[in-house]
Amino acid sequence: MPTINETVSEEIRAQARKLLEEGTVAAVIGYAAGSLPMTVKPLVVRSPEDCRKLIWNTFCVLNLANYLPATLKSVEPPRGPRDPKPEGPLPKVAICATGCWSRNIVVQIQEHQVARDRVVVMGVGSRGMVSKRKVQALFDGREILAVEEGDHELVIQGADFSETINRWSVVRDNCQTCTHPDPVLVDVRIGEPVSERKNPNPFMQVDALEQKSGDERWAWFTEEFSTCIRCYACRNACPLCYCPTCFVDDAKPQWVGKSLDAVDTGLFHILRAYHCAGRCTDCGTCETVCPKGINMRMLTKKLNKDVLDLYGIEAGMQPDAPLPLTTYTMDDPQKFMVAEPSAVKEGK
Amino acid sequence: MKVFKITPAELDAMIQEWSKAHPVYAPALAKQPAASPDCAPGWSRVDGNAPLTLPVGPPPASVKTFFFPQPETLLTYTLENNHPDKGLMREPAKSQGIQVVVGVRPCDARSVLLNNLPYQEDPFFQANRQRTALIGFTCEQTRSTCFCTQMGGSPLGSEGLDLVFSRTRDGFIVEVGSAKGEALVADLDLAPADESEISALAARRQEEVKASSTELDTLKGRELGKLYDAPLWQPLGESCINCGACTFICPTCYCFDIQDEVVRGQGRRIRYWDSCMFPLYSLHTSGHNPRGQKVQRTRNRFLHKLKYFPDRFGPFSCVGCGRCVQDCPVNIDIREVMTDLLAVE
Amino acid sequence: MNDQSTNWEPKIIAFLCNWCSYAGADLAGVSRFQYPSNIRIVRVPCSGRVSENMIMSALKSGADGILVSGCHPGDCHYISGNYFARRRFALLSNLLDFIGIEPGRVSFSWVSASEGEQFAEVVQSVTEKVKALGPASRLVKKIDALETALQVA
Ligand code: SF4
Ligand code: SF4
Ligand code: SF4
Ligand code: SF4
Repeated sequence: MPTINETVSEEIRAQARKLLEEGTVAAVIGYAAGSLPMTVKPLVVRSPEDCRKLIWNTFCVLNLANYLPATLKSVEPPRGPRDPKPEGPLPKVAICATGCWSRNIVVQIQEHQVARDRVVVMGVGSRGMVSKRKVQALFDGREILAVEEGDHELVIQGADFSETINRWSVVRDNCQTCTHPDPVLVDVRIGEPVSERKNPNPFMQVDALEQKSGDERWAWFTEEFSTCIRCYACRNACPLCYCPTCFVDDAKPQWVGKSLDAVDTGLFHILRAYHCAGRCTDCGTCETVCPKGINMRMLTKKLNKDVLDLYGIEAGMQPDAPLPLTTYTMDDPQKFMVAEPSAVKEGK
Repeated sequence: MKVFKITPAELDAMIQEWSKAHPVYAPALAKQPAASPDCAPGWSRVDGNAPLTLPVGPPPASVKTFFFPQPETLLTYTLENNHPDKGLMREPAKSQGIQVVVGVRPCDARSVLLNNLPYQEDPFFQANRQRTALIGFTCEQTRSTCFCTQMGGSPLGSEGLDLVFSRTRDGFIVEVGSAKGEALVADLDLAPADESEISALAARRQEEVKASSTELDTLKGRELGKLYDAPLWQPLGESCINCGACTFICPTCYCFDIQDEVVRGQGRRIRYWDSCMFPLYSLHTSGHNPRGQKVQRTRNRFLHKLKYFPDRFGPFSCVGCGRCVQDCPVNIDIREVMTDLLAVE
Repeated sequence: MNDQSTNWEPKIIAFLCNWCSYAGADLAGVSRFQYPSNIRIVRVPCSGRVSENMIMSALKSGADGILVSGCHPGDCHYISGNYFARRRFALLSNLLDFIGIEPGRVSFSWVSASEGEQFAEVVQSVTEKVKALGPASRLVKKIDALETALQVA
C-alpha cells in the first residue's frame, strides 16, 4: 500500500500536469527529489512533461511561498520598468502549500506582493516535517546514507546500521507546536484535509525562557547567537523578507556592522525578528536552513505570542483583515509605558 | 623529510605541551561560548586535558577563519581632536608567535594553498599564514559527500600541512612537512617510524592516485561562452535563495569587503567576508549591477571555481570537502553542477 | 570609559515628537521646571517616525538610556502616528525585555505640549531608573582590538 506521502506526490503530479496542460497556470512550484538523504530541491515546473519530477515527502522543510513573487514575475511577458501593464489577465502560477506556507501567501497578498487571482494554491494538509538535524543528532556523527519513509516511522540506514525511529519524535519543533496544519487557502485540494491540532500550549519554549531571570535570558541570547556566521540564509529563506535593500545592507546610516562582532550579530537578529512581527507564521524555515542550527525562531515566536496576546491576531489567518502593525485600536494596551503623570493624577 | 611514530596518549600529551606555549585550536564539538577574541567560530581553544576527537571527514568549520579572520582589522584611527594620534592611521599590533590548528583535514590544507594563489601579495593573508601551523590528520574514513579525489586532492594528502598524522595499527605516523612543523616536534623525543609503515602509507597513497579521477580537467580546455550560456543555470538560479551559506562555509571562497567602523570617536578599517551570492557584492556606485539577477550570481560561484580560477591559476578553486553539498538549504550540489557542465555540448 | 565610582552620569537619548513632547520640553524649560541634564534630545516629526533601527542604534552607540515620547493617543498631529507607534513599541519593549535588556533602559511616554511639568517628571523618573541600572553594557558596541592598538601606539 502506498504511504500517505506517496499518494500526495501522485496527486501533486497529476494535478500539476492537468493545470499546465489546460493552460490554467504557466508554472507550478513544488519539490523534486534531492541528491542527499533527507533533502529535497525546490523546483519550478513549466511543462507537463517535467511534472513527473515533482515529489512530496516529510522533508519538505523550505517554505515555497518564498519563490512565489519571483515566479509570478517570471511568467509575465517581458517588459521594461516604465512599460505599461499588458492588457488582460496575467498568467497564473500554482504552488504547493501547507498550513503555514498558505498563511505566508495570505500575508504576501495582504502586502500586495502577490495578486490573489494569479495564484492557484495546491493545498496539502501538513503532517509535520522532519528535522534533519534532529535525526542526525540521534546518530551522533555516524553518517546517514539513506532514509526510508513510512507513515509513522523512518528507517535510517548507514554504512553499518539500520534503525527504525518514530517519525513524530523527530518532527521539527515548530510543526510539533503548530495548531493550523491545514492550508487556509485551497484552490486545488491535495490529499485529505488535516484537522486543527489542539495544542496544549504552542508557546511552550517561549514561556520556559520567559520564566527565567533577565540575566539568564541575556546569557541565552548571547550564547545562542554566538556561532552565527552572518550568511543570511535565515533571512533569504524567509518569504517575509523581500526588501530590495535589507536594513543590514544599509550603508548610510549603517544600522548594523558587518563583521562577526557579537553586538552586530545580536542587532541583526533582533531587528530581523522584529521586522517579521505580526507577519511570521512560524513556518520554521529560518531555523531549518541555518547551517549553524541557531534557534532564531525563538525571537519570532515570542513576537507571535505577544501579537496574539495583545492584539488577538495570528498572521495569515484572516485574508481580509489588515496586518496587526498596519492598524490599531484606540485602546491598545499600553502598560509598558512610563506611568502617565497626568493620567495618574486624574485617577484613570 | 622526517617521519616519526607516536601513540595516541603521546599525541594528547604533545598537544597539551603545545598549548602551554601557543594558542592551540581544535574543531569544536559542541557549541562554544560567546565569541571571545581568541575563539575562531567553529573551533575551540584547547586547554590540554580532553583527548582529541575528530569528526569523520572535514569538521563543520573550515580553517578559513584563521586566514581570513572575521573581521581582519587593517587600520585603526581616532577622531578625537586632542588625541596625539589624531590624523594617523595605524596598523594594529599583530600578535607575535604562532597559533597551532590541530585536526585539519587534507582538503582544508589544500584550500590554503589554493587561496594563496590570488593572495600571494596580500600582507594580511601572508602574515596569518606565517603564524599558523596546520596539524593535519589524513582521512581513514570519508563521508559520502567527500569528493577531494575528483578535485586533485586525496584523503591521504599531505600538501600544505606542517605535520601530518596518519593512523597505524597502534597509533600514528607523523610526517614533518615544514620547518614550522619541525620546530613543534624538535624538543620532543619521538621515535622514528618503522620502514614498513612508511612504505605501507606510500602504497596506500599510490592506490588513491590510481583511483582519483581527472575527468573534470577537460573543463579547462572548454570554451567559456558555451558553458556560460548553458541552460543548466536557469533552474539552478531559480531555486538558489542567494544566501551566503555555501560561500561562508566554503574553505576556498575568499571574497571580502572593506568598511570603516567608528564607535565613539575610535575608528577601524575592517575586512570581512563577502559573498558573490549577495546582490550588493557587484553593485556599482552608479547603481548599475552587472550581476543584478540571481541566476548570474549563482552561475558566478560555480564558474569561478570550475572555470575562471583554473583558467587563471591552474587548479580548480574547490577542494571537494562537500560542505556546501551538505548545507545548501535548497540542495544545490556542486557535484551535479560539474556533471552537467561536462555534459554541455 | 564610564565608571560608576567616578560620579558617572548616564547619557539618555530622548526622541521627542515635534508637536507635543518637544514642545512640552520647551515649556518645561520656559517655565523653569528642573529636570536632570542627562537627556540629549533628538527632535522627530512624530513618535511614529521613530524606528526600531534608531533605538537599537542609540543603544549600540552607548546610550545608557533611551526615551521615546510622543503626543497622547488622540492628539497626534498626523491623526494616528502614535497609535501605530504604540503597537510597535509594545512589541519592541517586550522583545528587548525577552532577550535580557534591563527594563528601564528603553522607555516610552506620552507628553503633550502643555505638560511642561509632566515632562520634567518623566525625565526625572527615567533618569533615576537608568542611574539605578548603571552604565549600559548589553548591546553596546566596543571595538576592543582598536582600543588595544591605540594603547600600544
Ligand atoms: S521568520 Fe522564520 S518562521 Fe517566521 S515566516 Fe520567516 S522563515 Fe518562517
Ligand atoms: S542562517 Fe544561521 S548562521 Fe546564517 S545568518 Fe542566519 S542565524 Fe546566522
Ligand atoms: S547555492 Fe545554496 S547555499 Fe549557496 S547561496 Fe544558493 S541557496 Fe544558498
Ligand atoms: S565549493 Fe563546496 S565542496 Fe568545494 S571547497 Fe567549497 S564548500 Fe567544499
